[in-house]
Amino acid sequence: MAPSSSPNSLPQNMLEALLQKLGTAVLARVGTGNTFHLIGDPPPWWATTFKTSPESLIDVGSLAPFLQHFLDESESAWRTDPDRVVRSGPWSHRDLTSILHQFEATALTASHRPLLLIERVDERFDQIQTLLQQARDQRLHHIDQVKTHERTQTSLTGSLAIATQERDDVLALLQHLDLAAIVTNQEGRVTFISPRCLAWIERPSTRVIGQPWEQSLPLESADRKHLRQTWDALTPQRGRRPLRLTSTTPRWIEYEIHADPQSSERRIILLHDRTEVQHLRQQLDHQTQFHDLVGRSPAMLQIYQLVRDVARVDSTVLIEGETGTGKELIARAIHYSSPRKDRPFIAANCAGLTDSLLGSQLFGHKRGAFTGAIDDHHGLFESTDGGTLFLDEIGDIPTSVQTSLLRVLQEKEITRLGETRPRKVNVRILAATHHNLNEDVIRGTFRADLLYRIRVARIHLPPLRDRRDDIPLLVQTLLGQVCATTGKAITDLHPDSLHLLMTYSWPGNVRELKSAVEFAVISARTTCLMPSDFPEELRHTQRDHRPPFSLESHHTEPKTLLLRALQQAQGNRTEAAKILGISRATLYRRLLAHRIDVAE
Amino acid sequence: MIQKKICLLGGFAVGKTSLVRRFVTGMFSELYQTTIGVTIEKKALLVGDQDVTLMIWDLYGEDDFQKMRESYLRGSSGYILVADGMRRSTLDTAEALHQLAQSTLGPVPFVLIVNKADQLKEWEIDEATLARLRHKGWLVFTGSAKTGEGVPELFMRLTQTLLEAA
Repeated sequence: MAPSSSPNSLPQNMLEALLQKLGTAVLARVGTGNTFHLIGDPPPWWATTFKTSPESLIDVGSLAPFLQHFLDESESAWRTDPDRVVRSGPWSHRDLTSILHQFEATALTASHRPLLLIERVDERFDQIQTLLQQARDQRLHHIDQVKTHERTQTSLTGSLAIATQERDDVLALLQHLDLAAIVTNQEGRVTFISPRCLAWIERPSTRVIGQPWEQSLPLESADRKHLRQTWDALTPQRGRRPLRLTSTTPRWIEYEIHADPQSSERRIILLHDRTEVQHLRQQLDHQTQFHDLVGRSPAMLQIYQLVRDVARVDSTVLIEGETGTGKELIARAIHYSSPRKDRPFIAANCAGLTDSLLGSQLFGHKRGAFTGAIDDHHGLFESTDGGTLFLDEIGDIPTSVQTSLLRVLQEKEITRLGETRPRKVNVRILAATHHNLNEDVIRGTFRADLLYRIRVARIHLPPLRDRRDDIPLLVQTLLGQVCATTGKAITDLHPDSLHLLMTYSWPGNVRELKSAVEFAVISARTTCLMPSDFPEELRHTQRDHRPPFSLESHHTEPKTLLLRALQQAQGNRTEAAKILGISRATLYRRLLAHRIDVAE
Repeated sequence: MIQKKICLLGGFAVGKTSLVRRFVTGMFSELYQTTIGVTIEKKALLVGDQDVTLMIWDLYGEDDFQKMRESYLRGSSGYILVADGMRRSTLDTAEALHQLAQSTLGPVPFVLIVNKADQLKEWEIDEATLARLRHKGWLVFTGSAKTGEGVPELFMRLTQTLLEAA
């Protein structure tokens, strides 16, 4: 190092002392090889690191392999670029006691002399290493975290794929089984709905998922209420009756509500399409039942069709048949199948009433028209305006009333008793009788022109004995009605009981059958109706198949029939009424009408 | 006596220092201590009938904080690329360093070791990847500085290749 000429320059000895204080060994190159000599005193670490004498020339390349490499790297700078400073970067080297230390070398040219500075940088190195260690540890930790996240993600993706596959399998299974299913959460909101169910309700899943379940099914209010009650029962159960989905394609469904095995608060609703079954059931019902009429015998099926036919027109209909065969039921069926079904249906029994009473009842009266007419009164025709008036026992109406009735049928107007001004009425007449009106006409007790007017169409109801095949169905139906009324649970009919019912002649027809079933239900001690439960007369009446009294009524005078029945019943009017298949009240009316002494 | 300089190149924390320590001293430490700069270890080998002294330059790991100085590579007869089997990215780093070494040293012999074979289940580098490298003509080892598996073979194989190439 050349001595400084500037007055501010450090003296040579001071500079060397400074470098020693800084722990830097300064070596000056001797010649062009790897031989250097130390300038000034070496730093304290020199003696414990290198086996060289500070005073002798030093072959730097032999001190450490790294220094040999660095000399090669620095050669071009010393030779061609004196302004360049070459730094080695840190390297590690073991001292004479094998302790690893960190050094850094710098090659530079000063005053045309190649110099090599060697520093021991342990302290600085430790600081840098600590920082770098922390940075790399954090990096490794971050990599571990990312890897963990990736593994978790992979695991979740795998789980999701499995769950999706399982879901698809379940969906495929549901589709294959043609099952429609809905799953709800604890709040009753839909969390899953099968494609089949979506197709039925004709809504996209986006409009159903998350919605309250009861809003997802298009139901009528009664069905919705029923479903709600089943839901609120909280126990797994099957719906007691099918529901009707009111979608574009209406569908009948049966349903089951189950608790989710995984969570009792969740529900699984399974829906089954029963549309076809329901249609078949309706067809069957249609064939076996018509309004309140029961029976599937050919005669009854023919009558159902006849009722449908006459319901479409506005003609007067004469309904014939023995007492208890259901003539009023036919009248009601016609009315409720007709366009007049939303207007009144009124039934009037014409038997046993005097001229004035019947006339007043049918046509109304003006105040003072007769004794007891204390106020204006409109009759059944006016009350029935727009609807259907059923005149039962029309064969029993007095001649004067027949005339008025004929006028109504011809002119469509009535005149109240005591008035002269006719009033227009729009009433369809349905009439019924157990008489043979042809004979009544011949006898002169019934107007022929009225007969032709009321018999525009006619329906003849067969007696029950002529349609015995309907008896089991009738008993089943009546049993259901009676059990519902009485609250008794009768489930079976003993075969002997059925035999009894099938062989009895049923002079009172279905009405008598219903009474017998009521009696049996009340008498029954078990859930099965035994022969002993039925009325005694069924069990003790001789099983002849002769037509009963009433069957002959078309050919025999009513008074004769009454007298014969009283004779057979030995004057017991209740028994006589039973023989005739009529009520005691009707028997009384007829006895009065025929002026038969009714005294006991 | 033949003396050969070889370098260990690779990303940080792949186990370069551990491989050198395992090879030179037969020891291993679980404690990771990052290398700054260069540590040079010497190891004498007998390959066939030839005594060879390996000057093993354990260079600091390449990452965003420390970039490889080409000058450290100069004079190397060959090099060892080190990757961590549990980090796929370290193989990318090794391949990049291979490019640097080739451009600096020319086509000198090298081997690749995928370290940490003791944790094979955690590996991100699969056999197909290694097969691809072998197909390119690379000498690929798998091994573990922790267990010592494959370590002597690695150095021995490179030394043999160096001698064959000389």
